[in-house]
Amino acid sequence: MAVTAAITLSSAADDLTTDALALSTSCTLTKAGISTALSNTSGLARKTTASASQYTLFDGDAYGNGAHKIYLKNTETSAALYFTIEINSEQMGKLYAGDWAFFPWEANADTNDIKIQPSTSASHTLEYMLIYE
Amino acid sequence: MATTTAAVTLTSTDLLTDSLSLSATNTLYKAGTTTGLDQTTGITKAYLTATTQVDIFPTLIEGSIAYKGKSSWVYICNESTDETEYAIIKVSGNVIGKLYAGDFLWMPWSMAEDGDTDNKHADIQLTPSVDTGMWFSWCMINEGTEYPTSV
Repeated sequence: MAVTAAITLSSAADDLTTDALALSTSCTLTKAGISTALSNTSGLARKTTASASQYTLFDGDAYGNGAHKIYLKNTETSAALYFTIEINSEQMGKLYAGDWAFFPWEANADTNDIKIQPSTSASHTLEYMLIYE
Repeated sequence: MATTTAAVTLTSTDLLTDSLSLSATNTLYKAGTTTGLDQTTGITKAYLTATTQVDIFPTLIEGSIAYKGKSSWVYICNESTDETEYAIIKVSGNVIGKLYAGDFLWMPWSMAEDGDTDNKHADIQLTPSVDTGMWFSWCMINEGTEYPTSV
């Protein structure tokens, strides 16, 4: 069993920098400290919010310590609409329209939840997937 | 305007009954606009030989404009090939997760001052698991960073 994640960051020459940016990295998602592949997933899901309240996307108490990986994407198209991403009660950052993120999640404490908060009370849709031990 | 794109693919032929083939691409914009991000730290390559926690980006200034709704993106890769070696990644002292050998992350960063009243700044912190030497690379593409005055 194997799950592969790959990222490419690119920008043409004389744009972000004089030299072109062309960074590519890929990795196989494995369990913590071993070469066995991650084998569980939430599946690719969508959540459409209907208020500007904060929502718990993943509960740290439900997954425990591990080399979990999170994928998030704000599917909105209006540039000003964003989701604020919070982990372990700390603001990580904001996902604006079209933005995606991919990061490890240790879920090392009951309080280590992943929470999202849309920027307005209008309908916002977030796509997400957890791949976990 | 700088145009920088970030693309991800997640693929598997056997995680699910159906094949997983997910792709996403976005252009990196300043917060709430369609103007491209135009600042970067460049790609740092670092060889860390202690298990000491380090701040991987410049010290942030109290009240910096960077706190005020700017957009920053962070890439970090653990280039170790030993599957047991990892780095703990934190924001403002709070654990996000561990990057094991070969793993990367791509995440937005608000540079928000700590909300837990433990007097941490908005630092991104990295702690290698071993002191025998680990390679890392990292990069930030952003707007609004203010650098401290030298003394």
